[in-house]
Amino acid sequence: MAHIRLPATSLALLLMATPGLAQELNALVWCDHTDPALIEPFEQKFGVKVNLKEYEGTAAGLAILDQSRPGDWDVLVIDAVDVARAVAAGHLAELPADKLPTADFFPELVMAENNTVDGKTYAVTEKFGYNTISYDKTKVDPADMADMASLTSGKYDGRIGIYDYYLPVLGLVALGQGVNTADITADTLPALKDPLMALRKASKQVAEVVAAQTALATGEVDIVVGGGEWLTAVLAAENPNLDWTIPKQGALRWAQSIGVVAGTSQPDLALEFVNYIVSPEGQAALATSSCYWGMPANAKAGAALSDEAKAVLRWDEQPEFLARAQLYPIPDAALDTAMQDLWTEMLNQ
Amino acid sequence: MTLAARDRRLGWGLLAPALIWTAAFFILPFLAMVALSFASMDGRTVVHGFDPGNYVRIFTDWTMLKALINSLEITLVVTVVSVVLAWPLAAIIAFRVPARWQRLALLLAVLPFWTSYVVRSYSWLLVLGQNGVVNKALLGLGVVAEPLQIVATRSATVIGFVHFFVMLLTLTIYANLIQLSPNYARAAQDLGANRWQVFAHVILPLTLPGVVTGAFLTFVLCIGDYITPQILGGNAELTLPQLIMLQLGRSGNFPLASALSVVLMAVVTLAYFAASRWLRLDRV
Amino acid sequence: MRALSWAYLALAYAFVFLPVVVLVVFSFQDGRLPVPPLRGFTLDWYAKVLADRKLMAALVNSLLVAALSSAVALVLGFLAAHALARVRLPGSALLRGVLIAPMTVSYLIIALGLLSLFNQIGIRPSLLAAGIGHVVINLPLCFAITYAAMGDHQKNAERAARDLGAPEWKVLALVSAPMLAAPLAAAFFLSVTFSWDEFIIAFLLTRFDVTLPVEIWSMLRSGLSPATNAVGSLVFLVSVTLVILLEILVFRRSK
Repeated sequence: MAHIRLPATSLALLLMATPGLAQELNALVWCDHTDPALIEPFEQKFGVKVNLKEYEGTAAGLAILDQSRPGDWDVLVIDAVDVARAVAAGHLAELPADKLPTADFFPELVMAENNTVDGKTYAVTEKFGYNTISYDKTKVDPADMADMASLTSGKYDGRIGIYDYYLPVLGLVALGQGVNTADITADTLPALKDPLMALRKASKQVAEVVAAQTALATGEVDIVVGGGEWLTAVLAAENPNLDWTIPKQGALRWAQSIGVVAGTSQPDLALEFVNYIVSPEGQAALATSSCYWGMPANAKAGAALSDEAKAVLRWDEQPEFLARAQLYPIPDAALDTAMQDLWTEMLNQ
Repeated sequence: MTLAARDRRLGWGLLAPALIWTAAFFILPFLAMVALSFASMDGRTVVHGFDPGNYVRIFTDWTMLKALINSLEITLVVTVVSVVLAWPLAAIIAFRVPARWQRLALLLAVLPFWTSYVVRSYSWLLVLGQNGVVNKALLGLGVVAEPLQIVATRSATVIGFVHFFVMLLTLTIYANLIQLSPNYARAAQDLGANRWQVFAHVILPLTLPGVVTGAFLTFVLCIGDYITPQILGGNAELTLPQLIMLQLGRSGNFPLASALSVVLMAVVTLAYFAASRWLRLDRV
Repeated sequence: MRALSWAYLALAYAFVFLPVVVLVVFSFQDGRLPVPPLRGFTLDWYAKVLADRKLMAALVNSLLVAALSSAVALVLGFLAAHALARVRLPGSALLRGVLIAPMTVSYLIIALGLLSLFNQIGIRPSLLAAGIGHVVINLPLCFAITYAAMGDHQKNAERAARDLGAPEWKVLALVSAPMLAAPLAAAFFLSVTFSWDEFIIAFLLTRFDVTLPVEIWSMLRSGLSPATNAVGSLVFLVSVTLVILLEILVFRRSK
């Protein structure tokens, strides 16, 4: 019987080890928010537990919210360009605009046209960066990287990885064809198919964040299309040869916003969390999160970031980069489905 | 009340919890999934109803059909290769290794089985990479001049799978071999059979139940797996489970994901009937 | 022929152990990337992993789900096996088939089915939901193992106990179960290892509190790091300890 009692005892111990009930905040986020260095200071300050759930892609995030009940979620992190979608579906609550530190933000990152609907503010930008071209500068000619056309010129066949997210890469392909991301429609999408397939043909793999990082770091591929500081920054210390640039055709600027979920049972705590994230302290931790790095929206975070971190983020070059990058495409449901289907077809060609 | 009737009531009583559990959490969910597979999407909302559109799409859209074909090809290759590699291993352990060491030999052969499944695929990624141990060794030995591209191809997926299933099959085949009485082989030899004939006509047929049971488990586990092709295949091509997860994770298209799962289930059922003659699932 | 056998055996072991050895070796990597060349030896990654609150919580969750779901599967499987092995019931072949059926279905399908059912009746993803799924996959296993182990030997002892006036629950608890201790333990531990390592059901059916494989998966997605090697090595250590315990406690004794 001894070996039966043993699991029973350890079970009891385990049960006792489970922490008691503290106030909890439920946040639906991207993976950069799961870094304890970001979350723990907030938990300690307010004596609460922050529950984090990651999701991938706006459609999946909205599907989770659709299936939830009011009060299930308190905070939502979402693609800045998709805030309006979440508002239309009734998932975001209005924020008190006067209490947000947007005056300290990089002006381009206030993004009022995205975060505000009918004059009401529903979200605030927290982080941004670029989907462009990452490469190993010892293995490719950096001059070639200034022109997207060189990717499919044949010179780099089999040495390219594509980041596995349809919106930015389709956006980049559009820029390569001289189509602005805002002009991608059901009519212009078919014209992107051939260039996308050509890019696929020249590439070795289509990979998610980690696989793309691994591939670049280990020399599996020399170029990652769709990459940027978020892909290479965490590797900068290990492999200083990794670099990124914005080609002459331009690049995409990604931006993520944070807001309070409609129906939350603790709006004050949720707002505190949002304010913490956009405070200089929260912004610095978010910018250098272990999952991926990115520029903070709040320019005052610069004081809380080390010089090395700022160098990796290219803090000083932001004005030029901001001027040359376009926002993500904002597809409606039908176009979104068409874009995803095109992407799936490309994956399985 | 008669004794038989009392017994029968008792029997049903003991059986009921397991039957109810299986009905509530296996059969009912499956039916719910089948029902959902006939729903459709209007923008981002699910419209319930009876619409075979998802199935029509699976069999007419080349992207979907290709995923099914990929899955079948990979699974068949993995199953055959695993059996061919595992059979001699099981036989060597059963016939060459001294009896008192056999248990240890077997335990060692399946020990990596207990590394976390997700981590195992990840370590194959490290092993097979351009700068991985395998390529470093091949380059060092002068076998190849350029590092081999293994990761992000079908080969990597197949290697990852074969590694796992060789362990599984070694177990099922060994269990079968060890039950064979050496008298069979001796009798055949006495009757003038040479070693090859003994093997081909006596031992191999007798291990068929072990082989088929293991092969069927391999088929089921392999065709339904998401992790290995996702981590090792590098999206070079899509398998059915990857397509299902894409529909769930990115598009939120539950009806299409359900329909794809029903197709997957149908394939497995076909395999079951093909193998049923030799299957010994209640004797695993 | 003999030499060839040993060579094959050596090659097979090399193949089987290759990823494990690489995993463990690079968990000591002094650097951010777990790929050659080895830059030195450090235990930092283990320290980091052991200090990771979320990872440790996931580990506890995994142990809880594995132990509880296996216990439920074992009890249900044992009772059902007893009923089918001892009582002549109409359609018993069909009943056996129904109970074994989940074994022939991909985990992904079980997970998706439960997900759509739970969505429709409003059960939210949780460890409990994942545990229910794990009972579904382990019940056939526990049933098959105990059913196969029930021989005539126990039948006589059970009958004797019944003749002496013992009620059925006493027969089960004091006669049948102790006589089947080894196969019951084997079924339990096998279930624990399956549940402990199961990914897709836990991935689709949990929300905040996740199991270890799901946590490892999100670690993997958030960056390549020797920390992942360290977790993998620790999991391996725990599992192997469990296997060796099982070997010593159960199988040695049963011989």
